[in-house]
Amino acid sequence: MKTYSESSKKAPDSLLGRAYSHIDGADQDNLSDVPGIEELLRRNADLWLGCDMAGQGVHGRSTGYPKLDDTLPGRGWPQNGLLEIISPQWGMGELQLLIPLMRSVIEQGQWILWISPPHLLYAPALIQAGIDTDQILVVNLDTSCKDALWSMEKALQTKNCGLVLAWQTWLPSKVLRRLQLTAENGDTLGILFKRRESKYSPSRISIQIRSSASNINSFKEAEITVVKARGNFQPHTIQLQLYQHHACI
Amino acid sequence: MKDPESTAQLPLPLPFGAKAEVIKLPLSEQTIPTGKKRNEKGQIKKPDSLWYAVYFPQLIKLSASQQQKYLNELAAVLESVSSTVSFHPQALICEIRSSLKYFGCIDTIHDKVNEPLSEALKQLSLADYFLYAACPTVTGSLLLARSGHNGLIYRKENLCSALGQLSTEVLHLNKEQNRRLRNLGVRYLRDIWRLPTDGLYKRFGSEFMGLLEKALGKSPELTHNYVPPLTFSISYDLPYEVESLDRLLPVAEEILGQLQEFLQQRDLSTTHLVFYLKHEKRNCTDINISLRQASRCRRHLLMLLETQFSNLIVPAPVIAVKMKVKKFDTFMSYNESLLAEDKPAGRQYNNSNLNQFMEQLKARLGGLFINSIYTVAEHCPEYATKQLAYDETENKVGGYHARVPLAPRPFLLLQEPEQLVLENGELYHRKPITIISGPERIESYWWSGTDVRRDYYVALEKNGSRLWIYHERRNGNNWFLHGYFA
Repeated sequence: MKTYSESSKKAPDSLLGRAYSHIDGADQDNLSDVPGIEELLRRNADLWLGCDMAGQGVHGRSTGYPKLDDTLPGRGWPQNGLLEIISPQWGMGELQLLIPLMRSVIEQGQWILWISPPHLLYAPALIQAGIDTDQILVVNLDTSCKDALWSMEKALQTKNCGLVLAWQTWLPSKVLRRLQLTAENGDTLGILFKRRESKYSPSRISIQIRSSASNINSFKEAEITVVKARGNFQPHTIQLQLYQHHACI
Repeated sequence: MKDPESTAQLPLPLPFGAKAEVIKLPLSEQTIPTGKKRNEKGQIKKPDSLWYAVYFPQLIKLSASQQQKYLNELAAVLESVSSTVSFHPQALICEIRSSLKYFGCIDTIHDKVNEPLSEALKQLSLADYFLYAACPTVTGSLLLARSGHNGLIYRKENLCSALGQLSTEVLHLNKEQNRRLRNLGVRYLRDIWRLPTDGLYKRFGSEFMGLLEKALGKSPELTHNYVPPLTFSISYDLPYEVESLDRLLPVAEEILGQLQEFLQQRDLSTTHLVFYLKHEKRNCTDINISLRQASRCRRHLLMLLETQFSNLIVPAPVIAVKMKVKKFDTFMSYNESLLAEDKPAGRQYNNSNLNQFMEQLKARLGGLFINSIYTVAEHCPEYATKQLAYDETENKVGGYHARVPLAPRPFLLLQEPEQLVLENGELYHRKPITIISGPERIESYWWSGTDVRRDYYVALEKNGSRLWIYHERRNGNNWFLHGYFA
């Protein structure tokens, strides 16, 4: 009986040792069984380093813009939760930031739900950006705010929706908090487009997009400020080249 | 048709002895018209079954599928006199011995069926006549009905002689067999009785002999029975009037629970069901629940109903609830792969969840509020995109995408182009606008009244908005804002 229990105890140990042997070579020391901090951080999305988060870890989804990845915790968009994009007026390139993300979401077989975009969503533009329109659903602009929020909440709960985009300029923080929690539980990324920054927003990441200060007449260049990101201490500002798929502009 | 008690078909003297042996006429029992016969062991013998055949000669011209469809509808009429209705070529045959006691005599049964049948035939726009007959074997009654004699043979021992009178045409044989029979000098079935069985086997095959044996009741007969269409309808009277619909949910849950059980027992699911909320002195409120994907899950249906309730205002208190299933579907379970790696990377999310989600959205927002979008092969920009209610996408040709132009197109298009201000040679929207690239000329619809002649430019507003603007070349030479490069 005893030998059995001993052997059963030993077996996983040896397995562990083998599994992590690539970290410390074939070292038989006991310490080698414990995965390193780097390893843990890499494997577990819920763990992050307390300070200087920007560009650390790899638990995020790549934004497709290496410069932006460097400023975001986890080197990319979060896997779930609420993301705010603040754009003083529409047409600042706010959707350009999300094109690579949208492509990857659709490639994974998930759907993208657009909840009352301020104008008609233009299918040829999506195709030009390489986004397949088959897995895109649009909730009309005429939908009441209550229904729009309701559908956003339901969509965030559904695994099939990989991305939920909504245009809501003003929402009470209670509602935002609720959406943030729903998105976290549903493991879905929700994106809110807003006109103004709200100070006490509970969303995970808040990004502001402005036209580039240094090069104000440039069409493609934009200034992105990560106003808030869980883990970041101070706002980072970067210059990005957007509209890359439009070669002829 | 005569009363079964008065034997219309008198036992004819059999043409030859050999056959009589085969039939084994129980001579001693001939005097007992009905009732329980006793065989040698003294056990009560079940009376011979009696088959009532209805033959529709007008169906013969129609296609097989149409015949089946019509027979199905006609069978519903015969359901009123018998529990077993079976299908045969252009004919329906039902067992009526078990119904005789209830209806009294076969005339009552015939009267009961006659009118509804002609009515049903009229509705199907067919000639409203039919031939009928009854005898103790299925095939026998079918043959009798085909002959048009409308006869009744009540007892098995009389079958041989009664069928003997029929012309060989009733057998519906093929040309070659008919020719052979004619050459043998056979005109009536009784001529066949006279011929040696083994010879007939050799010349006409076992199928032919099987038919005759079945007709005489010497071999068992298989029938394909009519199964009436399923219905599920349930109503519940509330003990008191209910105004708040939330309080109906427990009742609905109970009803849906019964539905789930009903469907599970029959391996079915449903795609359309209707809830009727009854009010006093008012028309009842209907709640249609139609599903994209057949379901029988109580929880899912209840959730849909709850969503419907949340949007519904009833005109009066509810006094009763009724639910009816409009459409049944076979239960389709999806296959899950044994190994996770088998799943194709692109489709790791099954669609049933999405469908449930879509149904819920539809129930709340109404079908028109959720759209899928696709491109259309059009030069004119506003017609190059199309939104289609999600329900209608099923009809769309899947995976079809029109080619899109190479020139840049904005993500957001204004439904109505907004006119821009041109002052001192400078364009204004809210702030001054500088043109970045262009023009892209689009001319279209010159063949119709609305001529489209525009020069499109990509532009930048001073506040940072990336715009898609156009210069109208036709009337007014005005500038318009048409989209945002979001």
